Amino acid sequence: MSEQSLVSDGPVLDKADPVLLAEGLEKRFGGLVATDDASIAVERGSITGLIGPNGAGKSTLFNLMSGFYEPDGGRVTVNGVDVTGKEPHEIADQGMIRTFQTPRKPEDMTVREALLVGPHDQTGESIVPLFTSPSTVEREERRSLERAQEMLERFEIGDLATQPATDLSGGQMKLVELARGMMAEPDLLLLDEPVAGVNPVLADKLAGFIEELNEEGITFLIIEHDMSFIMRLADPIIVLNQGSVLVEGPPEAVRSDERVIDAYLGGPSE
Amino acid sequence: MAQILQYLANGLVYSSIIILGSIGLSLVYSIADFANFAHGDTMTVGAYGAFVAFGLFGGMGGSLLGLPLGFYVSLLVGMALAAAIAVLTHLAVYEPLDTDSIGLLITSIGVAFVYRASLMGVFGTDFLQYDITRSGPIPFLLENFDVAITQRDVAIVVSAAVLVGSLHFLLQRTTLGRKMRATADNPDLARVSGIRTDRVILVMWVIGSALAAAGGVFLALYSQLDPRIGFGILLVVFAAVIVGGIGSVYGAMLGGLLIGMIHELTPLLGDVGIPIGTAYAPAIAFVIMVAVLLVKPRGIAGDLT
Amino acid sequence: MSALDVGAFSAREKGVAGLLGGIGVLLLIAVVAGVLAPAYLLYLVSLSAMYMLLSMGLNVQWGYGGLINFSVAAFFGLGAYGSALLTANSSPISGNVSPVIALFGGLLLAAVLAVLIGYPTLKLRDDYLAIASLGLAEVVRIFILNENQWTAGSAGLTGIPLFFADWPVLGDLSYPYVFQVGGTALFYMRQPVITGLLNLVLVGAFVAGVYLFLRRIHRSPWGRVLRTIKTDEDLAETLGKDTFAFKMQAFVIGSLIMALAGVFYTHLVLYVSPPDLQPITTFYVWVAVILGGTGSDRGAMLGGFTIVAIQQGTRFLNDAVQLPIGPAPLRLMLVGLLIILIVRLRPEGILPPERELIWPDAMRGDGDE
Repeated sequence: MSEQSLVSDGPVLDKADPVLLAEGLEKRFGGLVATDDASIAVERGSITGLIGPNGAGKSTLFNLMSGFYEPDGGRVTVNGVDVTGKEPHEIADQGMIRTFQTPRKPEDMTVREALLVGPHDQTGESIVPLFTSPSTVEREERRSLERAQEMLERFEIGDLATQPATDLSGGQMKLVELARGMMAEPDLLLLDEPVAGVNPVLADKLAGFIEELNEEGITFLIIEHDMSFIMRLADPIIVLNQGSVLVEGPPEAVRSDERVIDAYLGGPSE
Repeated sequence: MAQILQYLANGLVYSSIIILGSIGLSLVYSIADFANFAHGDTMTVGAYGAFVAFGLFGGMGGSLLGLPLGFYVSLLVGMALAAAIAVLTHLAVYEPLDTDSIGLLITSIGVAFVYRASLMGVFGTDFLQYDITRSGPIPFLLENFDVAITQRDVAIVVSAAVLVGSLHFLLQRTTLGRKMRATADNPDLARVSGIRTDRVILVMWVIGSALAAAGGVFLALYSQLDPRIGFGILLVVFAAVIVGGIGSVYGAMLGGLLIGMIHELTPLLGDVGIPIGTAYAPAIAFVIMVAVLLVKPRGIAGDLT
Repeated sequence: MSALDVGAFSAREKGVAGLLGGIGVLLLIAVVAGVLAPAYLLYLVSLSAMYMLLSMGLNVQWGYGGLINFSVAAFFGLGAYGSALLTANSSPISGNVSPVIALFGGLLLAAVLAVLIGYPTLKLRDDYLAIASLGLAEVVRIFILNENQWTAGSAGLTGIPLFFADWPVLGDLSYPYVFQVGGTALFYMRQPVITGLLNLVLVGAFVAGVYLFLRRIHRSPWGRVLRTIKTDEDLAETLGKDTFAFKMQAFVIGSLIMALAGVFYTHLVLYVSPPDLQPITTFYVWVAVILGGTGSDRGAMLGGFTIVAIQQGTRFLNDAVQLPIGPAPLRLMLVGLLIILIVRLRPEGILPPERELIWPDAMRGDGDE
């Protein structure tokens, strides 16, 4: 009974220091309502899980928050800055980086090159400094290369650095995505199904890496269908159903909550 | 006023041609998933096919709407030829490709050039005409409404209407049409539902190219025949498809009507004192297309199928 | 290791270099044997170099950034017309401006149009950009064809000076020009040869400058973002890159290079007319880029050479044997077949880009052996 009360009906929004705050997000496609008054808050330093049956609107919510869809209503704030309706790159600049469910492998690039795209505001991303201050570009590039190598070694794929990115396995690609996201030095990483199609051994490793990074101060919001993975890793868990937040609470309590069980058993009603 | 009626009448004829072209382009876009830059030259192939056939059947007796019956037979021959060539191209060139829609798009430019070069090689680059004497405007319309419309114009509009009507019947009333709509809507879902999508794609090439050929024949009949007519009109056809909304056959029809009308109403701008010559008619169609893309990327017809 | 070693050439590169060298030797033999006029050979080499510029320009857009620009001919034409309208004595608007100043006029015109075309189209899907850019290029051609009062219309522009016409020394040479050392005449050259040489030096400088410029930006973080956009624009956005700005920069830079080719063309051929803006020019350049190797600057240069080989080869063939098909359809057929075959058989082209492109100085001495 006491466990039940831990589960909040709907989202918990009055968190002390939210990195990400989405309020009343609405999105319709034609006549179809994809998200309806969806609100979530992600507390700084947490690993927050986002689950829900197929068609609950999880990916739509990600796309709304990261700027790929323009919301029909509602507000998104990242680190206290209102980013509603902003371009994805402007939202990324506020410190929120996302990954994709099915990442495309970068063609004609080695793994470390792919990582080098990560860092923000590189001097060498503008044309003029390439000719006026090549030494700054060189210094930054050297530092990025070192960081990329460190990051790859940390994720135990250092030996892949100079491999073509197209040769990676699905699981390795997920690690590279995480590493590249980290190169951008985010406050918050949005991971969209990080262990989908990944073998259990690698999934375990990935969970370990995420916990490590979290201890170093990175906040995570993770969509995942693999229940044992997300229940082990995340706290709190937010459950989305039919386009809005059904409940939010600690994993054990959410797991045994009847509303959640009903939502999953009800299956995809759309 | 009579002037406006005249422009509208011209617009109707030109729209008929654009609509025939845009349906096929839209079908390929939705089912085969690429912008087919060879579609204009498929129109040209049909026009030349009919030209050759008219040499054989032109002498057939009887006439309909001021055109000898042999012309209609030749029209069908041109349509069949274009359909056959399109199917062959699909099987020999597009299908074996392991590439994305951009690779297909680029390949279709190569296909367009091969079609056109072949026609130039066989027929030369001179202007040709179907050997049919032009009759003057229909006296009744000229006297009562002061509008010059030839029987030939009427024949084009009526033939196009018959073809488009048949397509509508096919799409709405037959099993094949239902399968085509399902495949255009969601190819993967259609495949798992047991539809032989590879066959549907072939049928789509046949229908799209046959209609394009008819458009090409009428274009040649309306003005004249040379190896560049199809590529010349391709951009206007693209404009129609995009304005109508890619992947929607009915959208393409609507877009064709709109773009065709705008194209022929261009002189009106000069009449009201805006100094834009008729040479800019395709340019105006084009600017409208870009504007539509920016405001409504899915086209004016949106989700209609 | 070898992929990073700038000095090493692959067997394929050596093969291509050997082939080009062989053709060069054959052409020189043809000149010595009197079959080929030296001035004409110089003209052909200059023309190849001009197509190299066009190909390098398109490579920035399509090869680096995946932008399907079908308005190559328009930017080429704007460079050509911009320069011609300023320098030609038959120009309906200005004329008789120094070619060096006109060069910047042509480039400015192209930059303005690039922004005008790019702004609405670079936000669209890839294939829409293809259609829209081809259409807008046609608008430019129709404009030049119809606005006689500004462009001289279908007649085209004549009376264009050579690029060096008003330069000190180079503009005042007397012909045939006698080379002498200490008062002793060594040999002399006729005007066409001198002009051909000067043009070649000019375009050679353009090609070298553009190549060095591109080499640097291609290997830079800027180039890396563009290459990321090519495979996955959304990914680049999520990493905080303003993809529209990057695409616009690539579009303008590529267009400027194409316009530079146009400016050179004007002073090479000394006549420009609306057919120079036909879409076929655009697709010649596309063949050059995909044949050479999408994304590869060396490939683009090889492709530029190939275009002239196709153009001259078909002409030569038509003169030599009685073909059932004229040179123009034959060329069109060849271009068409090449496009189909490349996409089918070798989509990466003959000289695909190097495997890894990282700022070279940052790689030095980081224990990579």
